[in-house]
Amino acid sequence: MNKTNVVVVGATSAVAQAAIRIWAQRGMELTLIARNAGELERVAADARVRGALTVATVVGDLTNTTFITETVRAMNVPRVALVAYGSLTDSARADSDAAYLVSELTANFTSAAVWAQSLAERMAADSANGGTIAVISSVAGDRGRGSNHGYGAAKAGLTAFCSGLRSRMAARRVHVVTVKPGFIDSPMTAHIAKKGALWATPDAIAKGIVNAIDKKRDVVYLPGFWRLVMLIITHVPESIFKRMKF
Amino acid sequence: MNPLSLDQPWGRGYIANQTHRFVDGGPLVAEASNLYLPRGLGRSYGDVCVNDGGTLLHTFRRDRLLAFDDVHGVLTCEAGASLANIAEAMLPRGWFLPVVPGTRYVTVGGAIANDVHGKNHHRWGTFGKSVLGMKLRRSDWGSIDLKPSDTLFRNTVAGLGLTGLIEEVTLQLDCVRGPGIEQDTKLFGGDGTIDSYLALDAASKDWEYTVGWIDTLDPNLRGVFFRGRHCDGPDEWLAPQPARLTMPMDAPRWLLGAWSAKTFNALYYRAQALRTATRETIPLWQFFFPLDAVNAWNRAYGKRGFVQYQFVVPTAAARETVPKILTHLREAHVASYLAVIKTFGDMPSPGLMSFPISGTTVALDIPAPDEKDRRALDRADAMVADVGGRVYPAKDARMSAAMFQRFFPQWRELEAARDPAISSSFWRRVTASQDLQDE
Repeated sequence: MNKTNVVVVGATSAVAQAAIRIWAQRGMELTLIARNAGELERVAADARVRGALTVATVVGDLTNTTFITETVRAMNVPRVALVAYGSLTDSARADSDAAYLVSELTANFTSAAVWAQSLAERMAADSANGGTIAVISSVAGDRGRGSNHGYGAAKAGLTAFCSGLRSRMAARRVHVVTVKPGFIDSPMTAHIAKKGALWATPDAIAKGIVNAIDKKRDVVYLPGFWRLVMLIITHVPESIFKRMKF
Repeated sequence: MNPLSLDQPWGRGYIANQTHRFVDGGPLVAEASNLYLPRGLGRSYGDVCVNDGGTLLHTFRRDRLLAFDDVHGVLTCEAGASLANIAEAMLPRGWFLPVVPGTRYVTVGGAIANDVHGKNHHRWGTFGKSVLGMKLRRSDWGSIDLKPSDTLFRNTVAGLGLTGLIEEVTLQLDCVRGPGIEQDTKLFGGDGTIDSYLALDAASKDWEYTVGWIDTLDPNLRGVFFRGRHCDGPDEWLAPQPARLTMPMDAPRWLLGAWSAKTFNALYYRAQALRTATRETIPLWQFFFPLDAVNAWNRAYGKRGFVQYQFVVPTAAARETVPKILTHLREAHVASYLAVIKTFGDMPSPGLMSFPISGTTVALDIPAPDEKDRRALDRADAMVADVGGRVYPAKDARMSAAMFQRFFPQWRELEAARDPAISSSFWRRVTASQDLQDE
């Protein structure tokens, strides 16, 4: 596993930072991509101190198609990639602000799909090695909820895209892992004050992601109990579900 | 690493109305109606990490290691980095923190703000002594770099977070032989004095780490003395065993009385006395952080929480005063599990308000003290003050303002250096009423 190039898109997210620490301690070569240059530099420094062999950083607008394709073209062929950014959509604002809804759908679905597609093609072109891409979707994509419909729809699209991409790439030695975390106690959810037993730390989620990549799992719920929770939620009849407020 | 609770201190049992903010690298803006309090992982026992009516400024997500000089062992990191985080990254390279408290789940910022000490105080002093520099952000002056010779550095070490937000820290690490500790265990006491403890401690000055456990509920004051030094160990010891146990719920009230404390202590002493090996090599994690093996062990004290009472009395008074205070608390039926006894060295502490002075310290856990317990503790405070000792703010939830100001007459200097946008429930409690008396 030495000299493995790992690419992390959205490297300053809490889960990405925790995953980067695991890879840094393993002495990997890292390419970290994010929008905020100052924060990215701190994440890169942390990875260097913890033992990463090399750390390269790329700063740009993660939702810009040209930036995505140019960045993927220019990088060393990655063996592992993690697409780890997202934006928790404010549903009330999305109700009346169409431009906001479009930008949220672009951030959570369109751009993430383009990253996955571009990275997969780049890995497949290096037919000797192939690679693994993990994409962070969400349990929210398993069923659209009234409180979270924009975010849920984008993640549902991303889940479906990853499922199809996995199938398209299966014969070309590129593996796709769909990661479906539940609630994560991170800056994205900092505004939610009351956090109970269903909440997981970014460290725990990152461990699950790295493990799923190592074992080439297809779809992982993190923590695992969410598989059961979502099984129940997806089987509630729509006539009842539409009246539920959560 | 996330704190167990964003609201509650480790001793729990608080009802506080606080809003939350997470440090994001932006400026610290003073708002007339709102006071901030920087907070790490909330492992302080009482209200030094509570800010009722104000905002907690959480630092635990600013936990990046920024630079490491592996020739000299000098590490620069963000102040929200936990000691666990640093130790796990650095031990495989042969470096360890020069001072660790009884848990590794504290942030560097918190360790500085309380100027914590460890089992090697007699040889190294407090945590603040290993700090080579700090970046402090204030609401009035912006970001400033501090070095140990600066007055504001001296006020920030043990400054209870009040002098500004500690953002980055440069630390001197300690080069260690390996991930093991050679531990030697001895029994002491049984005659109602601490003389045999003091003799053992005096005979152990060349051991890097010394600490005692004392059964304060036994009139004979028996105890167990542990001393240790770094040594090599197998590679599996480089990383800590993940905590396998989690305290699943709050212990019921009936379990927390003096009777069960007495039984627990007697069983613990017997287990130690029955051990065949008194000298052994153990992973350093187990030596320094035995309680970290149980997640959320504070739930063992029930919903109403507990206080920790830690006092220090000067060397000259220790032999007489420590047994006197422990006897007083026992006769007042104050329950206590796992009291810890430690003799501090005589090197001066780096902080204006640092707790350690040359002398002997005892820390007692007391479940949910009632009125009677509180009166008994107040009397113990007076006995401590009479011999020139003091009580540890990081553990406190109850000392009176008058007592605090007797223990730390230099508090006005910290008040003068306080960032006007920062305060804590503790600080308001121990400083407010004296001001009223002054008028």
